[in-house]
Amino acid sequence: MSVTFRRRILPYVLVSPLVVFIGALSFVPTVDTTVEAFFRVMPLDPPTQFTGLGNFRALFSDPVITTSWINTAVYVAIGVVLSVVLGVAIAVALKRRFRFRGVLLALIVLPWALPAVVEAVIWNWIYNPTFGVLNSALHSVHLIGGYHLWLGLDRWLTILLIEIVQVWQITPLSVLIILAALQSVPQDLYEAARVDGAGAFSSFRSITLPLIRPAVAVAAVEALVLSLNIFDQVYILNGIAPLGSSIMLQTYVTTFQNLNFGGGYALSLMVTVATALLSMAMLALMYRRAEAT
Amino acid sequence: MTAIDRRDGRMARAVSRAARGRPGRTLSGRPARLAGRVAAIVVILLWSLFPIYWALNTSLTTLGAADSTPSHYFPAPLVGSSYGAVLGGSGEGFGSSNELGRSLLNSVIESGAAMVLTVIIAVFAAYAFARLQFRFKRTIFVSVLATLLLPAYATLIPLYRIMASLSLVNTYLGVVLVYVSGFLPLAIWILYNYFNSIPRELEEAAFVDGATPLRALVRVVIPVAAPGIAAAAIISFLLGWAQFLFPLVLTTNLSTQPVTVIVAALNQQRIVPFTLLMACGVLAAAVPGVLAVILNRYIVEGITTGSVK
Repeated sequence: MSVTFRRRILPYVLVSPLVVFIGALSFVPTVDTTVEAFFRVMPLDPPTQFTGLGNFRALFSDPVITTSWINTAVYVAIGVVLSVVLGVAIAVALKRRFRFRGVLLALIVLPWALPAVVEAVIWNWIYNPTFGVLNSALHSVHLIGGYHLWLGLDRWLTILLIEIVQVWQITPLSVLIILAALQSVPQDLYEAARVDGAGAFSSFRSITLPLIRPAVAVAAVEALVLSLNIFDQVYILNGIAPLGSSIMLQTYVTTFQNLNFGGGYALSLMVTVATALLSMAMLALMYRRAEAT
Repeated sequence: MTAIDRRDGRMARAVSRAARGRPGRTLSGRPARLAGRVAAIVVILLWSLFPIYWALNTSLTTLGAADSTPSHYFPAPLVGSSYGAVLGGSGEGFGSSNELGRSLLNSVIESGAAMVLTVIIAVFAAYAFARLQFRFKRTIFVSVLATLLLPAYATLIPLYRIMASLSLVNTYLGVVLVYVSGFLPLAIWILYNYFNSIPRELEEAAFVDGATPLRALVRVVIPVAAPGIAAAAIISFLLGWAQFLFPLVLTTNLSTQPVTVIVAALNQQRIVPFTLLMACGVLAAAVPGVLAVILNRYIVEGITTGSVK
């Protein structure tokens, strides 16, 4: 083999493992999901046959699926708002350098680094109705009269408490993204504003917020994708009960417990399309507003 | 207008808007501000670490002390017997001896192998994207990155069926292949940005000395890019360790089930005492927790290049 030939094929050799992996295990499956969503696929009850929109129609007439869509929308709303607000607040608090800030940052990242399942098991113990520390702490400061059953009784409270567990995990991501943006805001802008008589709050609103808006948009989209796909926390803290069920949990139940693969494909496809559309819409919206100000 | 002009214009407008706002409080005093900052840091630390502390606290005491009202905020009596019980498999609800130890080993093997494979494939491909010219480069690069926007579970059912048809369900290989396909796009993105931040002169000096591109990559670029490679590696490992739904579907018994699946199963039984459950949780969190604290610099690097650029 000549040297030039080897040089010419080198790039293809370098990228071919990547192409094989992504092709076989990402593209083929995605196309497969898209196609099979329109088929009746029941491994225990063949044959597989084309049903058009049959899977979708069945899903839309199933009240548990409808509940799960609404629940998921609430998970997303709470998740995006809380993780972004907390992310901005914590990033602003940590913006200035001080001793041990590096150590502090390392500790703050911990919830992001641990498995969501393990975290959910820990929070399940915190929320425990008889011996949980949440009841004990709230009771000892007289915020509640008696011990509460936190999960599984009230739908919206259950969803809020489960989403808090996810927010706890994903907020470090928002903090890091927003902190990086904050640190690239030139200090002399604040100096100039202060010389002109601006206070801390108006500086924050008029200088910081517009300049970190792209980072906030990225953090919001990350939170959107993660909360739209919430599974681990719901599986542990809610089980498969419809009350706090999420759409990803229903995908799992439909496919691997009811063995209705066609229905699972249709749900997967809808979640995928919803994720793509919503994240693009959110990015477009937040970037346009950043441009307009 | 260039991008910089636009940015400067926006900043100037921001400054004048800020100045028009309410005048700042002039006397906020250094001690008061310091106290406020300390309070804020304490609240942030409590929020971030209390649940982890609570798991440790419960795991290090007796069941009688853990199941008490009001809760004990410190482990008294301080005992390590929960750890002995879960690692020896003698705890209530533990089916086999050393179930947890075996699942931890499975987690190490699966996330470790996925990390190594992901990083090797990603280093070579990201180098090609960053430095070499070839046909379909843009198409391949954009398509790979586009999969970052796909929710991970879009591919769950087909991947299960592919692995089932290849008889790879409940094998390390099946789990690792799925992980690698999921982690590659982020690793590519981190490494691509890192390679682009390395000056080309470094390799050109090697080329002058007669090195081939491959040799320049191995001898010059990889050593310089070590922090970026470390970032891609640690993030891939942590992602692998945290996986739950994929192994829940792809593994069926203790020969391959990772610790996340076992902890969820123990939790599901409803008879495992919370002291033992928390000991399992602490053990399952120990490896990623210690790595995350020690290698924090690389995680921050990876997350910020992975999302902000």
